Amino acid sequence: MPVLTSDDMCLVCKTIRYLNKDMEFLINPECYHSMCSNCVNRLFNDGPNQCPYAGCHKTLRRKGFRSAFFGDLTVEREVDIRRRVAAVFNRVEDDFETLRDYNNYLQMVEDLTFDLVSGTDAGRRDAEATLQQWEASHKAEIERNRKAGRDADEMTRRRVNAERDAARQRRVDALREAEDEKVERARSREAELDSLAQGAAPGGGDGQRVQLKRRGQINRATAAAAAAALEPSAVSAGAGPVSSGALASASFSSASGALAEVGRLSIRGLKEKRKPAAAEGPYDPFGGMDFVPSRYRVRGGLDHPWLDKYRLDRSYATGGYSFDEYTRRAMFEAFAGLGVFVDDEKEVGIGLSAREVATIGAGIAAVGDRMELD
Amino acid sequence: MASEDARYRLSSQYRLWSFSRAELASLREKSNSLARASISERLSRASSSSDKNNNDRSASTSNANTPDPDGASFRLPEFLTVADESLMTTFYTTQLLGAGSATGLSDEICATAAAFFRRFYITNSIMTYSPQDMMIVALFFACKAEGWFTRVTDFLKMGSFQSLKKQPEDILAGEFLFCQGIRFAFDVRHPFRPLIGAGMELRRLGDIKEERIRAAEERAKSILRFSSLATDAYFHYTPSQIMLAALSLADRELAERLIHETFHHITPPADNGTPANGGDGAPKDSRQPKGENKEAIIGQEIRDKVLGAIEACREIMAHEMPERSKEHWQSIDMYQDLILPIKKKLKKCRDPDRSNLVALQRARRETALKKGDSEDGDPEDRGGTVDDDAAVFGEATRDAKRRKVAKGLDDPFGGPL
Repeated sequence: MPVLTSDDMCLVCKTIRYLNKDMEFLINPECYHSMCSNCVNRLFNDGPNQCPYAGCHKTLRRKGFRSAFFGDLTVEREVDIRRRVAAVFNRVEDDFETLRDYNNYLQMVEDLTFDLVSGTDAGRRDAEATLQQWEASHKAEIERNRKAGRDADEMTRRRVNAERDAARQRRVDALREAEDEKVERARSREAELDSLAQGAAPGGGDGQRVQLKRRGQINRATAAAAAAALEPSAVSAGAGPVSSGALASASFSSASGALAEVGRLSIRGLKEKRKPAAAEGPYDPFGGMDFVPSRYRVRGGLDHPWLDKYRLDRSYATGGYSFDEYTRRAMFEAFAGLGVFVDDEKEVGIGLSAREVATIGAGIAAVGDRMELD
Repeated sequence: MASEDARYRLSSQYRLWSFSRAELASLREKSNSLARASISERLSRASSSSDKNNNDRSASTSNANTPDPDGASFRLPEFLTVADESLMTTFYTTQLLGAGSATGLSDEICATAAAFFRRFYITNSIMTYSPQDMMIVALFFACKAEGWFTRVTDFLKMGSFQSLKKQPEDILAGEFLFCQGIRFAFDVRHPFRPLIGAGMELRRLGDIKEERIRAAEERAKSILRFSSLATDAYFHYTPSQIMLAALSLADRELAERLIHETFHHITPPADNGTPANGGDGAPKDSRQPKGENKEAIIGQEIRDKVLGAIEACREIMAHEMPERSKEHWQSIDMYQDLILPIKKKLKKCRDPDRSNLVALQRARRETALKKGDSEDGDPEDRGGTVDDDAAVFGEATRDAKRRKVAKGLDDPFGGPL
C-alpha cells in the first residue's frame, strides 16, 4: 500500500483519492488547513464553523475556502501575506526623492512582512496591528496609489495590444505587398515577351534598353515601396520590444508621479507635494504696499513761494511736469519716516524701543527671580 | 505702521546707511583698526625689504652684526585715532561743501556729495584713502547721482575746482572704488524737499504770518545746507526728522505746531478735552487714517517719541550751526591747532599702497589682465577689505572675457587642423 500523503487523503474525513478521483483540496487563509471539498460543504454549509483540525480554534466560513495554488502551504501563506502587505504599502520608486529613501522604505516593508510571515507570536501581532493601523489611517492614499497602479497597468496593456495589432497589420501588409510584387513581375515579364515579339530586328537594342530601363524602374519602385512599407515597421519593430517596456514604465511613472504627492508621516524622503498654485488675485507690482498717506492729506491748492516759478510758468508743464506731482512728493517726504526711530530700530528691531526692550528684559528677570525664590 | 514709514524703510538710506550710535561708533572703530593692521603690515614689509637692502650694503662694507630684518630698526608710526579721523572727515566735509557751493553746484548735489563722503569714511579710513582725492570724486559722482551729467574735463574747469589741479584720471581712478565704498547706494534722501512740504502744510493752516514762515524756512534751509551734513544726523535720523529739527532750530514754535497738527489723534477716553489747536478749521476726521491703529500712527505716544527724536537731532545739529562754517572751519587758527597736527601724523601713517589712486587703478587693471592671460592664475593676495571687490564686481572677469575674444579674433577660422 502506498504511503498516503495529505495530497491523497483528506485528513478530516479520511477519504482517499483512490475512492474519489475528483477530490479537490481546499484551504482557508485563516489557518491554511486543507480539507476536501466534500468536507467543506458538509461542515460549513450551515454557516461559520470551527476548523475541524484538532487544536485549531479558528472560525471559518465557506466563502473563504479556495484551492491552493502552491503545493507547499507555507509558501501559499507567505504569498498571501505578501500580496496583502503589497496592497497596503503600494508606493513606487517615483514617490521618493532618492533611491536611498526608497530602499529604506522597502526595508521597512520587508521587515514587517517577515514579522508577519515567520515572526514570533508577539512580533506577528505587532506587525498585524501596525499593518491594520496603517491601512486604516491611509486609506485614501492607498486607494489612490492602487488606482494609479491599475491605470498604469491598463495603459500598458492597451499599448501592448496596440503594438500587437500594429504588428499583425504589418504582417498583412507585407504579405499583400509580396503578392503585388509577384503580379507585377509577371506582368512585366509578359510585356517583355510582347515587345520582343513585336519589334524584333531594327529596334532590338532599343527595345532591350527600354526593357532594361523599365525593369530598373520597376525595381526601384518596388524597392521604394518596400522601404516605405518597412520604415514604420522597422522603426517600431526595432524599438518595439525594447521600448515597450521603457514606455510602459515611463507611463507608469508619470501616472504614479501625478499621484506621488501623497505625504506620509513616517515614510521619509517622499517627494514634496506639488500644490496647485493658489489663486492669488491680480498681480500687485508694489507687493501690497499701501500708498494712502496716513499722516497727512494732499489737498488741492497747496503752494509754496519757492515753487511759483514752476507752477506759473507754462513752459515747465509742456515737458510733462506736473506741479501736483511735486507737491505730492514734497508732502510725502515731509512726513515719511517721521515714525522711524533709527536708534531703536537698528538696535532691537522695528516697533520696539530700546527702553521697552530693557524693561521687558528686566520684567522677565524679575519674574525669574521671583520664581527662583518660590 | 504708517504707510509713509513703511515706504521709507525700503530706501537704501534706511537699509544700508542708517545706524544707531553704538553701531556707528563700532563701525568706525573697526575700520580704523583694520586700517591700522593693514597699514602697519604694509609699512613693515616695505621697510624690511628696504632694510634688507641697507643691511646688505652695510654688511658688505662694515661687516656689522646685523639685527634681524624686521626688528627694532623699524618703528610703526603713530596712527590716527577714531576721533582724529572723524575730525578730519568733518573738516573735509566742510571743505567739500564750501567748494561745491563756491562752484555753484546745487544744494542737492553738494548735500549728496557730503553724504557720500561721510558714508565712504565710515567703512574706510582717512589713512587708507586720501580725503582730498575722495572729496573731488564725491563731488563729481554726486553730480551724476543727482542727474546732472557733465564731462570730467568740464567739471574740472568749473569754478574753484581749477585750483585743485586735478587730472581727469585722478577722478576716474577713484570713482569705482568710491562707489564700492558707498555700497552702490546712490539715492540719498535729503530734507530739502520735505522742508517745502512742511512749508506748504504750514501755509495751509492759515493763521501763521507769511513772513514768519518764510524767515523760518530760509533759516532752516541754511541749517540743512550745513549742519545736518557736517554731523552724523543723516545716519541717525530720517529726512523728515532732520527737517523738523532744522525747522525747530529756526523757529521752535512752528516745528512743534506742525508736529502737534500731524499727531493730533486723541484717544477716545480723553476725547472730551479741547482740541489741540483751535485754529485748525478743517474737519479732523477727514485726515485720520481708516484703520483702528490711529493711535499708533498719529497718537500722542508716538508724537512724544517723535518730539524726543527731533530734540535729539536738534542737539546734534546745534553743534554745527551754519555760522561755524566760516567762523570755525575756515579759520586759520583752527586749521593750525587741530588739522595740521593730524595732517602731520597722517603723512607718516598713510597707506603706502593706496596713496596714489591712479597707480593703484593701473596696477589692478594689470593684474586683472594677467589673470585673464593665465585664466586661473592664483589670486593676488589682498587684504580682504571692501576695496577687494573689483574682482567680485566683474572688472577682472570682463577683461578676461574681452581678452579671450580678442585672442579668438586673430584667427577667425580657428587653429590649424
